[in-house]
Amino acid sequence: MQLIFKKNISKGTRFNQIYIPKQLENEFEVGDEVEVKLIKKRVQLNYSKKLKLSEFKEDLIKNIFSFLSKSDRILNIFVVGSFLTEKIDYNDIDIVIVTKEKINNFDEIIYNKLIDKFNLKFHVLTIEEQRFEQLLKICPLTQSMFSLYISSKKTSLEREKVIDKNHIKFLLMMPEDLLELELGSKTFLDSVRRLITIERFLENKDLEKINIESEKLLGKEIYITMKNNERIDEKDIIKIREIIKDKLKKIKEMI
Amino acid sequence: MGKKDDIKQLTNLISKSLRHKIGSIVNKDDFYASKYAKDADAIMKEAKRAASRQNWNNDDKLKIKQELKEKLFKELEEKEFLDDKKFDIMDEEMEKALLNLF
Repeated sequence: MQLIFKKNISKGTRFNQIYIPKQLENEFEVGDEVEVKLIKKRVQLNYSKKLKLSEFKEDLIKNIFSFLSKSDRILNIFVVGSFLTEKIDYNDIDIVIVTKEKINNFDEIIYNKLIDKFNLKFHVLTIEEQRFEQLLKICPLTQSMFSLYISSKKTSLEREKVIDKNHIKFLLMMPEDLLELELGSKTFLDSVRRLITIERFLENKDLEKINIESEKLLGKEIYITMKNNERIDEKDIIKIREIIKDKLKKIKEMI
Repeated sequence: MGKKDDIKQLTNLISKSLRHKIGSIVNKDDFYASKYAKDADAIMKEAKRAASRQNWNNDDKLKIKQELKEKLFKELEEKEFLDDKKFDIMDEEMEKALLNLF
């Protein structure tokens, strides 16, 4: 008969350990040979900063991490965005998955699995380790996205900043287009946010308070209107274009 | 607005939308593809609105295609920071966009 017992690994002073249950001490004796098999990985939430989430949100994230950790192609999982900062007013649950190598259609595969399992609105981005490393150095939007996160594995995302002019110019395309094009107010807000992020990145300022600065710059009323993608007056569009123009000028002088 | 002005506006919008799309493809920004697709989509939505204002005949469509090709080439040429592969996929992306529009 095969003798099996299940236990959690506990922390020891020199080595981590597994205790043999008292009632089995005569079956598992000193000198006996045993095999240890990992059945379920303990899910840990690693916070980038002190953050208070509800028990429901924490449990949900633990379940998501536990569910996704079954794939050995995943190196780390991050939850970012409004799900962490807004109590109820979040759009969807933003999940970023770092993989060892590029996997075709992995975003879609993971997205479908999550939807089937949790029946919630997710936004999934997957990225291979090497590209992730590069973006952490050169991309203001990536740095801003990861200014606050919860990850499945403990990690540090602080990297030395590198100014990649081409990447910055690429990010400026939409704000530049909005000087001529008439699009939805949310698109204007996204561009203002983007410009503030790039500006703060270039000035070595923290990237956590983008929304606060956007609201201050635009005024609370216009900010809320734009956030809801509602129609804004022509005079407000002129004011917003002036803001965009100023920011573009400032950023171009810095790169 | 007359047809001529509508064609001008329409080709302006499509060329800008395609520049965003092609930019995200050639700059290999897969991570942001969905984000930048939103930029391209926001402009393309406006192009669809502009396209619905007229009944386009075959001559119009041909004119749109020619004008679009010129504008898109210029748009891509000006953005020197986008990889030169942009010109290789220009025609294919243009065809796809027009097919989707009409």
